Amino acid sequence: MAEPAYTVASDSETTGEEKSSSTFAEIAIGIDIGTSQCSIAVWNGSQVELLKNTRNQKLMRSYVTFKDGVPSGGVSSQLLHEHEMLSGAAIFNMKRLIGRVDTDPVVHASKSLPFLVQTLDIGVRPFIAALVNNVWRSTSPEEVLAIFLVELKAMAEVQLKRPIRNVVLTIPVSFSRFQLTRIERACAMAGLHVLRLMPEPTAVALLYAQQQQQTAHDNMGSGSEKIALIFNMGAGYCDVAVTATAGGVSQIKALAGSAVGGEDLLQNMMHHLLPDAESLFLDRGINEIKSMGLLRVATQDAIHKLSFQHSVQIDVDLGTGSKISKVVDRGEFEDVNRKVFEKCESLITQCLHDAKVQIEDVGDVILVGGCSNIPKIKNLVLNVCKRDELYKGMNPLEAAVCGAALEGAVASGLSDPFGNLDLLTIQATPLAIGIRADGNNFVPIIPRNTTMPARRELLFTTVHDNQTQALIFVYEGEGKTVEENHLLGYFKITGITPAPKGVPEINVCMDIDASNALRVFAGVLQPGSHLPAIPFMEVRMPTVDDGHGWCAEALHRAHGSSLDLVTVQKKI
Amino acid sequence: MSGTLTLTAATTLFSLPENRLSSTHNTTPASFTKTPSAAHLRRCKVSARACTETRPETCRSRGSLYEILRINNNASQNEIKSAYRSLAKVYHPDASVSHPESDGRDFIEIHNAYATLSDPASRALYDLSLGARRQRRQTVSSSSSSPFDFCPTRRWETDQCW
Repeated sequence: MAEPAYTVASDSETTGEEKSSSTFAEIAIGIDIGTSQCSIAVWNGSQVELLKNTRNQKLMRSYVTFKDGVPSGGVSSQLLHEHEMLSGAAIFNMKRLIGRVDTDPVVHASKSLPFLVQTLDIGVRPFIAALVNNVWRSTSPEEVLAIFLVELKAMAEVQLKRPIRNVVLTIPVSFSRFQLTRIERACAMAGLHVLRLMPEPTAVALLYAQQQQQTAHDNMGSGSEKIALIFNMGAGYCDVAVTATAGGVSQIKALAGSAVGGEDLLQNMMHHLLPDAESLFLDRGINEIKSMGLLRVATQDAIHKLSFQHSVQIDVDLGTGSKISKVVDRGEFEDVNRKVFEKCESLITQCLHDAKVQIEDVGDVILVGGCSNIPKIKNLVLNVCKRDELYKGMNPLEAAVCGAALEGAVASGLSDPFGNLDLLTIQATPLAIGIRADGNNFVPIIPRNTTMPARRELLFTTVHDNQTQALIFVYEGEGKTVEENHLLGYFKITGITPAPKGVPEINVCMDIDASNALRVFAGVLQPGSHLPAIPFMEVRMPTVDDGHGWCAEALHRAHGSSLDLVTVQKKI
Repeated sequence: MSGTLTLTAATTLFSLPENRLSSTHNTTPASFTKTPSAAHLRRCKVSARACTETRPETCRSRGSLYEILRINNNASQNEIKSAYRSLAKVYHPDASVSHPESDGRDFIEIHNAYATLSDPASRALYDLSLGARRQRRQTVSSSSSSPFDFCPTRRWETDQCW
């Protein structure tokens, strides 16, 4: 099929009715790539439809096997047995690994996975490899994700009988912009163009907005808003959002997220069952990987059963001489994972606080994600929100992908005669963005939970007399010092007119557009006047690549504080 | 009409990257007339201001925050929220009815107006400054609000150079 000769932008000049038919071929599809499962959905002209693979599954396992050298993913291939996934040839949990360096605790926690994750703790990407015919075949999370996306894309193209190019992907709230570029790269490798990367709970919020609009259609624009709290916990991440909804507009008030999920529950449980697992599996031979796989499957199974029964008998022969035979009850499971549950609670509290919303004002509490079946998760969400009931209107495993498909249709400029696409998400920034100044401090310029698109600026000045250059380090995160945050990039501004310290004025402005692209402008102002001494520099972020942890340190070693900045007291 | 008032550093300063942005991302000449939104909000808070000339091009952002949201000065919180939502549906870059050249500048302005007016404390403060401003305005007839207006030559220069 040929590429359509029109663009969405030019189409929006025509009327709505014409638009819906002519842009149909360009509707972006929604993809929810989960740590453990993934799904794909599309607006079919009247509603959102989840696509099924040839085995009639709507939810597909997120993994890729490198057996016999030819990679194949969970979309098409059928595992003969769960254990095959754990033979060393299959790579999974890529969402936990993507865009992380080997000093990251999440990467360290992934070392118990039944394939090779090697860390050298120097701030570069970890060595990840699959065991193929007893040889380690190196790969990267981007490659694994791309292979998987190619399969998803092929599956959708066959079913929709059109080429797929534009996608809306859901992402965890806590993803840094650097991780987002990795996701984009994986999509590009698969021949997909990312229209939007949507934090998972905001996709759910959009679906909720649509449902609210359908139930109270005549209420549109009346301004009576409903506040909902969305708690999403999957295998890899936990996200919370507070949204205010009215008339199909979902306004994200606050977001909070962390890399805790079902995988942590599983690992804590595995550690509980076999405390010396680490040392046992240090040598990654085929047998150790097999044992790790066996333990993993048995533990996973037990956790699933504990959602429905109070205790479970675990019997597993690890094959290396050690056998586990144990009865585990629900209390034990909750005890082992106390810290994870505490983190979940604190995320909800933080999100409500950031949204400046009292718990009494929350209308609906929505619980979604793979962990939503766990009784403890249900209870803690209800407890923190002081509720007896959760919102019942959506499938917890399909809500995010449905929201992504809706956003795909809306962002493609589609309209629906029944007003089902009369929707809008007003997003907020999940993490603060700022620069390094005042020594080693992180000075936010766009704070967390700022409505997007956004543009903010701040004035800085020099720390040395006759300083003519300054380095702008752009960071993202919540930490007070820069080391706690993600480095997005850096650039140098030159041409500062020699003057005593504190006199030159350096303006740093940040701009995030609706598609979440970040641009940083920096420039020096002429002393006395307010014209720039030299043209402003405009830099699209992030600019750093792998091993970025090194760069800041190396620059500090090379230049000391000679290129530093401090904030000017008055905020412009 | 000529009446001149103080020019705060912030306004022109802000306008520089602003203009540059519009020139790189918009091909329509009309986009130059868009007023930097944050500057607008700030100016409103900074209080009285007047202008040296009335610009022939109309700024969409002209007038008070209430005018931006197209509501009365005594609008209720519900009316403010509802106005914000309906305007968002038109001016948000994601909205389907949005104009192709929309780059979010209008929406930022609308959101800033909403952010000020939806918070009772900041709304009260703004109402006070609005009262002061209206008194001053009696001496000057123009109500154009672009920061460039305070210094036409500078505006020309930035338009040409960036």
